Amino acid sequence: MSEVPVDPPVWRRDFPYTSSGEDDVTRRDFVRYLMLASAGFAVGNVGIAAWSSLRSINHGEPQRIVKLADVPEGGSYLFRYPTADDPAILVRLPGDQLAAFSQKCTHLSCVVYYQESDQRFECPCHEGVFDARTGDVLEGPPPRPLGRIDVEVRDDGAVWALAAEES
Amino acid sequence: MIPRSRRSVTSAVLVYLLLIVSLQIFLVTVAVDALQSGNDGLAWTTAVVSVVLAAGGALFYRYLRSS
Repeated sequence: MSEVPVDPPVWRRDFPYTSSGEDDVTRRDFVRYLMLASAGFAVGNVGIAAWSSLRSINHGEPQRIVKLADVPEGGSYLFRYPTADDPAILVRLPGDQLAAFSQKCTHLSCVVYYQESDQRFECPCHEGVFDARTGDVLEGPPPRPLGRIDVEVRDDGAVWALAAEES
Repeated sequence: MIPRSRRSVTSAVLVYLLLIVSLQIFLVTVAVDALQSGNDGLAWTTAVVSVVLAAGGALFYRYLRSS
């Protein structure tokens, strides 16, 4: 009776008895896995960069906020933009300059308030402070500026929100 | 039996690739930090460096296969 030759099982190919065979197989395999991991990290980094770029694209439809005459110089006005779930704040800075930002703190999304005396936004949760003109972080834990909302004054004397930058 | 010189080449490539993957892990942390702080320029710079490193790793691997 003749025996039918069978292929060695996979585990024996991966874990050979002799060290010479093991040396050749596992090192090269490991090098290949490292190369693939490196390529995977590169793809991930490109994805993160693309995500970072895409999320700064403006979004939202033009929306009337308030009549300019109803916001005193140095004062602020709360509204919602781009959706009804997004609190936003419009400030009329000295020099008749307008600025609008998302009211969500970039740290943990608490609502920021305008401090007229210092011309800055303050987050009461963890004492984050933002510049009222630029939205940049001045103090505290927030990692990035407030989301800016582009505004303009139209012929009807009202302030319109044009688009929001995702924060 | 594998020639000693060939094993040395494999080991050298292995060390280079370990260094490259370590750098890649570091670059992922930099990219996430850039994403968090809204720094697009840094995120893209990190991505370019990461792709260059990955290409270097692929070249090492190709060299190993041809040796």
